[in-house]
Amino acid sequence: MKNIFVIFKREYLTRVKNKTFIIMTFLAPLLMVGFYAATIYIATETGDDDRTKTVYVSDNNPELLLSHNPPANYVLLPAPSDSDSALAHVERGLVHAWLNVEDRDLRSVDSATYYTSETPSITEKETLKEWIRNKATQRQFARLGLREGQIDSLQSSCNLATKEVTGQGDVKESSSGLKSGIGFALAFMIYIFIFVYGSMVMRSAMEEKTNRIVEVIVSSVKPFDLMMGKILGVAAVGLTQFVAWIVLAVGLVFGISALFLNSGNGTTTREAVQTGIEARNGMGGMDTGSGTSSGAAVSMGGDMSAQGSGMTSGARDMAAEFTEPLSNLPYFQILAVFLLFFIGGYLLYSSFFAAIGSAVNQESDVQQFMMPVTLPLVFGFVIAQTVALKAPHGAMAKLFSMIPLTSPIVMVVRAPFGVPLSELALSFGLLVLTFVLMVWLSGRIYRIGILSYGKKPTWKDLWKWLR
Amino acid sequence: MNKVIEAINVCKTFGEQRVSKNIDLAVSQGNIYGLLGPNGAGKTTLIRMLSTITQPDSGEILFKGEPLKEIHAQQMGYMPEERGLYKKMTVADQLLFFAELRGLSTKDAKASVKHWLQRLDMMDWARKKVEEISKGMAQKVQFVSCVLHNPQLLILDEPFSGFDPVNADLIKDLIIELKNQGTSIIFSTHRMDNVESLCDHLAIIHQGEKVLDGGVSDIRRKYAKGIYEVGYYQSVQWNAGMSAAGESTLISEQQQSDGKVVYRFQTSESFTPEQLLKLAMGKGNLVHFSEHVPSIHEIFVDTVSKTAEPKTGVPIPDKLEKSNLITI
Repeated sequence: MKNIFVIFKREYLTRVKNKTFIIMTFLAPLLMVGFYAATIYIATETGDDDRTKTVYVSDNNPELLLSHNPPANYVLLPAPSDSDSALAHVERGLVHAWLNVEDRDLRSVDSATYYTSETPSITEKETLKEWIRNKATQRQFARLGLREGQIDSLQSSCNLATKEVTGQGDVKESSSGLKSGIGFALAFMIYIFIFVYGSMVMRSAMEEKTNRIVEVIVSSVKPFDLMMGKILGVAAVGLTQFVAWIVLAVGLVFGISALFLNSGNGTTTREAVQTGIEARNGMGGMDTGSGTSSGAAVSMGGDMSAQGSGMTSGARDMAAEFTEPLSNLPYFQILAVFLLFFIGGYLLYSSFFAAIGSAVNQESDVQQFMMPVTLPLVFGFVIAQTVALKAPHGAMAKLFSMIPLTSPIVMVVRAPFGVPLSELALSFGLLVLTFVLMVWLSGRIYRIGILSYGKKPTWKDLWKWLR
Repeated sequence: MNKVIEAINVCKTFGEQRVSKNIDLAVSQGNIYGLLGPNGAGKTTLIRMLSTITQPDSGEILFKGEPLKEIHAQQMGYMPEERGLYKKMTVADQLLFFAELRGLSTKDAKASVKHWLQRLDMMDWARKKVEEISKGMAQKVQFVSCVLHNPQLLILDEPFSGFDPVNADLIKDLIIELKNQGTSIIFSTHRMDNVESLCDHLAIIHQGEKVLDGGVSDIRRKYAKGIYEVGYYQSVQWNAGMSAAGESTLISEQQQSDGKVVYRFQTSESFTPEQLLKLAMGKGNLVHFSEHVPSIHEIFVDTVSKTAEPKTGVPIPDKLEKSNLITI
């Protein structure tokens, strides 16, 4: 036990005292914020095709299409009467395209053709389609004798509020978007942490083997203790970084709110923070709610809090929707599930990584063994993004939150939606059992692997070492 | 004398290959035990069993009379043939780590590290990372890392491989110093140059078996075959049948770099060294007369070639062809 601690101490201190680690701990969040900010900026500001496009429209009734406002960045011109010269103009680049609407009375627009010299993007195609459809719809309404104002009033809207009935007879505000956002962000964090710190364990085992340090060490430490000390030491490094980020994030939020306070715009610190939080969660909720559940979008929401006070009033309204649900979240359960499954998942996967690191003689031999280890992890993440977010209480989500190789990721996505304690206990129990079994098996590979030099190991060798 | 470590009938098999076959050995306190053998003889496997890294399939290993357990490893120092250090760690941190691994408390470990760094005049390097120091310096750190905890048994596998002559001498002096303080040392090598000057006892392992075992001087004495050398600063003529008292056979003639010509004779039971000396003195200005005791190198080659395939045997003096011999 003492030796596990000596190994743990070395693994932890050499990493934490490393300048790169210290710099990256402070720089990584800034880099991440910068990265997402750049992505958002590019996507919103520069992602669109902002060229002005001159398009011929075959429209024999100028009232119908040409008289209406064209879509943004489009200049519409009546097309020449013969199709050959229209096509020739497109070909010579005199105009960007020729939009030929077959049904020129716009009674039932079921076909229109867009001739261009370059393949239009999906956005361009959708913009035009939507524009024609709108015009046709308006035309149909007009035929029925409805004015534009009446048309708008006919468009119904529905705001479906969700409330959660809790066991204590309470009814609480709930927000699916918010929960999805939080669950997904946590799952993403576990996914990244397992990869980053798992590889760290692997490289550490490889370093000891290739630098021939290991034989001296195993003459005083059991290989299993060496492996455990290493896995736990690196886990502590991960947790340290995690805590540092939380402290940093809280510091940033308070720092920024203090700035607002000093600038004298009348907003109190508390309000500024509140706005930041609301806006942040509003963003996260919006993104996941609309089905574009990409990690970037969710994290973006979280990282935008600094810009909270600069949000539009629309976003502010939406943010307000999350105020109560935010305070109703089962924080303790979410945090407990996150920590337990993060530790369980990390321990399970890092034991695989350790076994691989001990078996190979050089970095280039790693690839052949990595696939079966990373596949379930990636698969779990895909399940988390799709099934678990769409139907957190569905059969598939339940199944994969029980299988120990995917449960660390899938369960945290489900956690904010409320998972019965019995399910949590069963899933965690299975994870711990598998972890114990796998650490034991990996320890057997490790024990022989670290002292085996020479030829590149094969799966057959690993199997032999296991027995 | 107290036995620090003892192997009794130890066997180890890897797959189909028997790498240790019924090996017995015993290392007494304060002795240097040379473990010799060609590459692949099974020395490292035996050493790994003695240092608790692997376990024998059968047989028994005793540490100070008790069956060997992992806890005993804390009283051992082990420097493997293939060795390395953490490149990114400082010399002091690294030594501290190894000392704590060997069971020292942090306080004792710090004191020991300081003592050894001062002893080897390395205090200025304590805060340097291993990747920043010279190879010779790293070799010293490597050695220190095995002796920091004042082990009762020090196992050195090819300790001088990769060492420059200056560091090799330094380490040799340290080994002798440790021995004088009562540390027992197992010294494995396939190079003989240091064995004679360092070891008290030796065993030769070949193809997993112990083929020779005994005190270094006893073995050399045992292998002395009544061969004597006589030397002059010029060539002399030896005629056959010169002696009435018995006969001696000239087996080799060698011109040495210092100008001496050395003749080697195989004496027989009826021809004593005194008789040879008298005869030699009459031949000219005699400057060298000694018994030829085979070196450990010769004994090693002899022993190993006897147990090896016939074709790989190396000719040794007593296998010289009879037609080249002059009997006097």
